[in-house]
Amino acid sequence: MNGEVLVFLILASLAVIGGLLMLNLKKVVHMLLSLVLTFLSIAGLFIMLSAEFVAVVQVLIYSGAVTIMMIFGIMLTRHQDEQRVQKNRVRTWVVLIGILVFFYTMYEAITRFVSVEQASELHIENTKQIGMALYAKYVIPFELTSVLLLVALIGAIVLAKREEEEEVKQE
Amino acid sequence: MTSVPLNAYLMLALILFCIGLFGALTKRNTVIVLISIELMLNAVNINLVAFSKLGMHPSITGQVFTLFTITVAAAEAAVALAILMALFRNRSTVQIDEMDGMKH
Amino acid sequence: MCDKLLPYAWLIPVFPFVSFIMLLAFRHRLQAYSSYIGSALTGLSLVAAIVVWVTGWSVQSVQHTGVWLAFESVELQMGTWITPLNLVMLNIVAFISVCVHIYSHTYMKDERRRSTYFAWLGLFTAAMLGLCLSPNLLQFYMCWELVGLGSFLLIGFHFEEDKAKAAAKKAFIMTRIGDIGLLAGLILLYWQTGSLQFTDIYTVISSGELEAFHVTLISLLIFAGAVGKSGQLPLHTWLPDAMEGPTPVSALIHAATMVAAGVYLVAVLHPLFMASDTALTVVAVTGGVTATVAAVIAIAQTDIKRILAYSTISQLGYMMLALGSAALAAGVFHLMTHAFFKALLFLTAGVVIHHFKTRNIHQMGHAFSELRFTGMTFLIGTLAISGFPLFSGFFSKEAVLSAVWHDERYLLFSLALLTTFLTAFYMFRLFFIVFMGQGKPTSGPKKALSMALRLPIAALSVPAIGAGFLYTPWFSAFGNWITQWQTAQIDPGHEVPWWMMPSAIMCSLAGIMLAWVMYQKLRVPLRELPYLHAFTLRGFYMDELYHYTIKQPLQFMSTTTVYIEKFVVETVMESSSSFVKWVGKYGARLQSGQVQTYGAVGFVGLSILVFILFWTGGYF
Repeated sequence: MNGEVLVFLILASLAVIGGLLMLNLKKVVHMLLSLVLTFLSIAGLFIMLSAEFVAVVQVLIYSGAVTIMMIFGIMLTRHQDEQRVQKNRVRTWVVLIGILVFFYTMYEAITRFVSVEQASELHIENTKQIGMALYAKYVIPFELTSVLLLVALIGAIVLAKREEEEEVKQE
Repeated sequence: MTSVPLNAYLMLALILFCIGLFGALTKRNTVIVLISIELMLNAVNINLVAFSKLGMHPSITGQVFTLFTITVAAAEAAVALAILMALFRNRSTVQIDEMDGMKH
Repeated sequence: MCDKLLPYAWLIPVFPFVSFIMLLAFRHRLQAYSSYIGSALTGLSLVAAIVVWVTGWSVQSVQHTGVWLAFESVELQMGTWITPLNLVMLNIVAFISVCVHIYSHTYMKDERRRSTYFAWLGLFTAAMLGLCLSPNLLQFYMCWELVGLGSFLLIGFHFEEDKAKAAAKKAFIMTRIGDIGLLAGLILLYWQTGSLQFTDIYTVISSGELEAFHVTLISLLIFAGAVGKSGQLPLHTWLPDAMEGPTPVSALIHAATMVAAGVYLVAVLHPLFMASDTALTVVAVTGGVTATVAAVIAIAQTDIKRILAYSTISQLGYMMLALGSAALAAGVFHLMTHAFFKALLFLTAGVVIHHFKTRNIHQMGHAFSELRFTGMTFLIGTLAISGFPLFSGFFSKEAVLSAVWHDERYLLFSLALLTTFLTAFYMFRLFFIVFMGQGKPTSGPKKALSMALRLPIAALSVPAIGAGFLYTPWFSAFGNWITQWQTAQIDPGHEVPWWMMPSAIMCSLAGIMLAWVMYQKLRVPLRELPYLHAFTLRGFYMDELYHYTIKQPLQFMSTTTVYIEKFVVETVMESSSSFVKWVGKYGARLQSGQVQTYGAVGFVGLSILVFILFWTGGYF
């Protein structure tokens, strides 16, 4: 068991613990924070997989932007801080059984999956490689993504904005 | 070079995906449901990155694809939150089981 | 002349039919005039019938037909057919119908639905006239059913009374039993002869091409129809119940239209019956037994109309007996005389019932002093039906008796003779109790009978007295005329043994005497013999017999099936519908609008699919 495996195990268990905490904590903000742990562990895993740029983006977007945005969402909505007790127990059990079946199926599939190849040059100038691929090969999806972001921006603003009559009333 | 097998990454991604899925289907707070969906997306990202390093045909494409996914996920989160705000203003609740407008 | 007028014979049934249509279409507007319209149009029909009779006197058999339906090689004809037999029937029917129409003018004066009543009368008359004119069995059958319909409507005219409703249904269903036989016989006849034209049937029969078995089968089946329609045993039970109809209707049904149809059917197909000894025997035995049994039943009845009804059955039995004894002329002759005196009896009975406001003869009495005209005419009818010498019934009965004697059926002959005695007895019992009995005189002002009542009664009493002279032992023109066209034979006349006439007279006189002794002189009530009395009063328990042998098992079957329906079919229906309801109810709960539930269901489904795919070894 070399160091790499050890690091992987630590990061993986941190990620899983974060997810399980998210499921079991009572307060919404605590749930979010536990997920930040998961996201950061995943960023570490990305580094292990020679994807430094993606790891940085992961930290920036997920741990940073998305989580903060969610916290804003929580702040802006008057939420019941504590999750009420689950009422729909039947659904929970049904979902749990479905997930277990799914998990078992996928587990069987993964154990049978064997791949021997490895990429050896991903870590050399990783960001440059990504830039090359993005602007040379995937330029059209890239531009489309920008359009998507613009649409999301405008849509979010329009949706979140108060309706004018309401504004007038408030004033 | 790396001694962690691909299957380990895939297993981790599967576990995280299942956790996210369970959260998305059982949690009652809409914000938590949204963040569970983010977790599921992240699990998928792990798969993509792992395949880009250890897959059948390793290449940079997996990482590029991950970037796209993260972007789309971010946009989705933003729009979802905006919808949540609008909904909250109308119904003054974020409990997902009280949102049954699709019934009518 | 006859060539020019006879083609218009189809007008005879059209007149009453027009009356039916008019009165039905404008029944509210014509309410006040309905009796006039009905009487006038039926009168026109009578005039037409008389004209046809006079012009077609010498005609043997003339047809005027047009194609009604044609498919492939089969042509169904429709039209008119004039024979002496038809002429007799037409005139009787039209005459009686006119009498009944006029009589009803007063009798149904206070009826709220008079135009409907006259409309039904028109339909009934038109159907019967059409039946008599039919040149083929199909048209005949159509009119036959229409007659049944008319009688149904008229018997059930007071449909607000349960008894009338039940009687109408009974009449319809009982005759329908016979009609099945008629229809089967008709189809069989067509199959065997290839035609339904009466003339063609005669030709085929006279050529002797038919097998004896088929002839017997067909004639028996057709006779079943006649049994139902003419109220012969064992299908007679509807006739007494038909008394629930208005009294003029009873007169029409019993004298001319409904019951005469069966006799006419046997008469018109007489060559067919003649070709089979078995069929003739069946007809004769049925007729003889019916005549006697009905006469016995009539003795104990207390309802004036039921007595007359049973006497009708009895007299119809006579007609069948004559026809079964190969004496067409005697049967038709008795049909004719019976039509006159029975219509007369019913119409006068109507007056009596109206006078006493009851139909129970024991609540009547002394009517003779109060209703002199009615009493006289009723006496004429009674004498005629009893076979009192020189009245019409005397000659016709005598013709029947001699026919039976000639046919060498001595047992039936003695039955017929006995019936003569019984008829005289019960008719004079009726007469003595109603008109001479010591009932209390009815209070209330005496009303003179209106002209509309007197006229038909008077018109009917004339032929009731005199019609007999048409066909006497010494004058057989009628017999020749009515027989010749059909069999191409001259009626042998009835050479009677010397003792025939005196014995018939003796029988009827004995009946009259006995009635006089029992009900006038000694006033012996018949109830001295309780069992026999009850037995005859209830009509030999025929209704009860049918009740227990046919109705009860059927009812049992229907109840069983009802329970099957209720508990088996209903349960299946109920459970399937409640299953659907249940599915709907819980399905609606699935439609909760909760995205998470939808997602959960979708995901579970997906996981199951993935699992199945994995299990069966796809992809992995």
